[in-house]
Amino acid sequence: MSNFIQILFSSLEIGSVYALAALGIIIIFRTSQLINFAQGSLGMFSAYIAAFFIQGGESSLEVQVMKHSTIIAVLVGMLAAFLMGVIIDFLVVRRAKKQTSPLALPIITLGIVMMLTGLAPIVFGGNPLAFPRFIENASVSILGVTIMVNSIVCIILGFMVLAAVFLFLQNTVWGLAVRTTASNETTARLMGVPTKIVTMVAWAVAAALGALSALILAPSTVVDIVMMDGVQLNAFIACVLGGFQTFYGPVIGAYILALTKNIFGFYISTTWGTAINYVLILIFIVIRPYGLFGKKTVKKV
Amino acid sequence: MGGFLEIDHLAVRYGNISAVRGISLQVEEGRIVALLGANGAGKSSTLRAISGLVAPASGKIRFNGEDITGAAAEHIVRLGISHCPEGRQIFPDLTVMENLRIGAFTQKSRKKIGEQTEFCLNLFPQLADRKAQMAGTLSGGEQQMLAIARAIMPSPRLLILDEPSLGLAPLIVRDIFRMIRKINEMGTTVLIVEQNALQTLKVADYAYVLSLGTVIMESPAKKLLENSELVNAYLGKS
Amino acid sequence: MKLTKTKTFPYWKYIIVCLLFLVMLPLNAAGIVSGSTLLILGTVIFYAVVGVGMNILLGYSGLITLGGAGFMGLAAYLSGFCSTRLGLPFILCLVISIAVPTVIGLGIGVVSLRLEGFYLAIATLGIGEILRQVFVEFEPFTNGFSGMRAAYPKLFGIVLTREVTYAFYAIILLIVMILVHNIVNSATGRALLAMKGSESAAQAMGISLLKYKLIAFAISTVLTALGGVMYMHLIKYSYPTVWGLGMSLNFLSISVIGGMQTVLGAVLGALFVIAVPELVIKQLPVIGTLTGVAYVFNGLFIVLVLLFYSDGLIRIGSDVKKLVGKIRGKKNDIDQRSGT
Repeated sequence: MSNFIQILFSSLEIGSVYALAALGIIIIFRTSQLINFAQGSLGMFSAYIAAFFIQGGESSLEVQVMKHSTIIAVLVGMLAAFLMGVIIDFLVVRRAKKQTSPLALPIITLGIVMMLTGLAPIVFGGNPLAFPRFIENASVSILGVTIMVNSIVCIILGFMVLAAVFLFLQNTVWGLAVRTTASNETTARLMGVPTKIVTMVAWAVAAALGALSALILAPSTVVDIVMMDGVQLNAFIACVLGGFQTFYGPVIGAYILALTKNIFGFYISTTWGTAINYVLILIFIVIRPYGLFGKKTVKKV
Repeated sequence: MGGFLEIDHLAVRYGNISAVRGISLQVEEGRIVALLGANGAGKSSTLRAISGLVAPASGKIRFNGEDITGAAAEHIVRLGISHCPEGRQIFPDLTVMENLRIGAFTQKSRKKIGEQTEFCLNLFPQLADRKAQMAGTLSGGEQQMLAIARAIMPSPRLLILDEPSLGLAPLIVRDIFRMIRKINEMGTTVLIVEQNALQTLKVADYAYVLSLGTVIMESPAKKLLENSELVNAYLGKS
Repeated sequence: MKLTKTKTFPYWKYIIVCLLFLVMLPLNAAGIVSGSTLLILGTVIFYAVVGVGMNILLGYSGLITLGGAGFMGLAAYLSGFCSTRLGLPFILCLVISIAVPTVIGLGIGVVSLRLEGFYLAIATLGIGEILRQVFVEFEPFTNGFSGMRAAYPKLFGIVLTREVTYAFYAIILLIVMILVHNIVNSATGRALLAMKGSESAAQAMGISLLKYKLIAFAISTVLTALGGVMYMHLIKYSYPTVWGLGMSLNFLSISVIGGMQTVLGAVLGALFVIAVPELVIKQLPVIGTLTGVAYVFNGLFIVLVLLFYSDGLIRIGSDVKKLVGKIRGKKNDIDQRSGT
């Protein structure tokens, strides 16, 4: 039983990291029709900004910043990501969509990955940074198992942010505007929806979600240039598992993925557990090629 | 009500292909004007130029005296022109109500939205029965009704309909044209593009016939109906 | 209007490219081109081989893979194992190291019938990751994180030098380009293009999707595996972290940047993605020394190239021709008007 509780909580925690990243990916995919390979790197870069902000440190640019509380640092990181998302959409994606082949767009996001990966050590120095938890040194006992309070905070935070996004999408007019832009951009414009702005805000929000994902992850590892590589991979797989046709599919896929990963990792082995996880998912999508919640789109010939 | 549309020597090109080669037409306030012609005549391209989906290569479009040539689609809706696109293009993953709601995106007054929604549901009772249904599960005729209802949600002054009868059974087409006439009677100017000349001429006041990107004939609809051989000769079918 | 095409020898451009690579050898002997530059150009060569394979998949068949690095690594490890541990001759190592990944590649071809677009991309990504995990875990075979060592190819009992290996690779590239050029301009190539354009239309024309997807994945995997063998015997060292998503994404970049519907584009793409950061950027004063600068510029160039030349750098060739044509045209106009 205690094993179960342990697995449950760690799955929920890492699940929220995957889910936030996956939601970012699916939002951009559905509104801009492109796969954003830079999702992880944007999160990584924002984590650097937040970590820098909170520690104050010396880099090759020699900037000293005052110490601030964790929450403000997280907000700063998310805001930075939001701005980066706006800039990327405005300067690059919009320009690209007019004459570019659809395959070139994801490669452009790869270019952005390279730029961010190269910039990080230049701006923030080559050493990994640490990022603190929201609540340090506090744990509770749930049914005999010690769980860190911070984990619970992260899980709840993840749920709340995801719920907020979904409530926005389902219950507000602007949320409807996003969903119609995702469904059929040209017709949405005929309704008067400013699809260019919708796409830009979608990019920005997706980037901010990636930042939050990185910052929930950061305390349990370090802030370095590869910190989000595993998360991004899992986020993509969550999208495949959940299906690219809904917004909620990848989120649910992310939590399932986290759970099965932890279960296999615990009962079999951590390394082979990951591989087995992938194999099972591959088998699953061959059986159900459109994911858990996807439907076959009938293409008109 | 202000639905007066004027098109002056409009030309639309897609790359090197000329879809529209200098069309001039007028839609008088309160009227139903038909744009007839076979496939590829340039009808849809004309509509897309009006509603701002494509920028004209040359020519002018004026709405109530205001030059709207090349204006953005999002802006043109606010000016009072609503376009019901070819192939219906309803949002299949959204419910009927959500489709209607997004049609009223530019309408800020909640009261007006409520009133207009009720008007639409009264006009199209089949939609009222299926309020919460996913739009993609509706039949072809119901989807067309939804598309038209969605298009009148912003209370437009000019309603543009692109081939509303496409792919629909004759009985349903008759119903839809009856509703179009009703909408016009309430004061909305209508510009309708169609391949189905006969049904359209029965409801229209005035008609233009397009072929290969130019207007080859224009006349009051009644006259064309009387001279049906003439129309057939130009269109190749009825 | 010409009704018949005069038969010109179409392989000149490939031969010229091969010669350009080979000319580096005497330059190296003369001390103008350094040994490390030679190594980098050698790397460009086998990345170009892999790139040609990617072009077949991406540009001609419309299929995507993000697991290429896994197959390249598998071939590299197999070749290293066969040559150093088993002492097998190079040719035999080559055959084994290509055959095994290709069988797996055919398996993916079958799977690709069920999966489309991004789903296929992520599935191949997963396979690549699984392979990378295998490289880490199968220590008795791969030596895990410590990596595996190999030597220059041993042909007919003689172990080659670095320079001869380089020349050998340039010839391999030439042969590969000519072979693929022929495939692409044959009925097979047209079938692949038809499949890329519209699967339904292709099927309606009687093209078996299964057959041609298998062909596409087979050719692509063969070339990727060949690249892996070439990697192992020039770099002479392989460790697991190399064969990750980053490398697979590099293959994609090489294909798209160079021009994915061409054969020569792979060379351009490889030059751009591999050679430019090493040879150009790191040599720049001051900024060249900052860690990560090469990456930043490389990324920036990728973004700029694709914004302006979304069909690939190879289009620069046709743009130059157009410019020359315009200048000539203007000159003709001026001549005509002035009555010469």
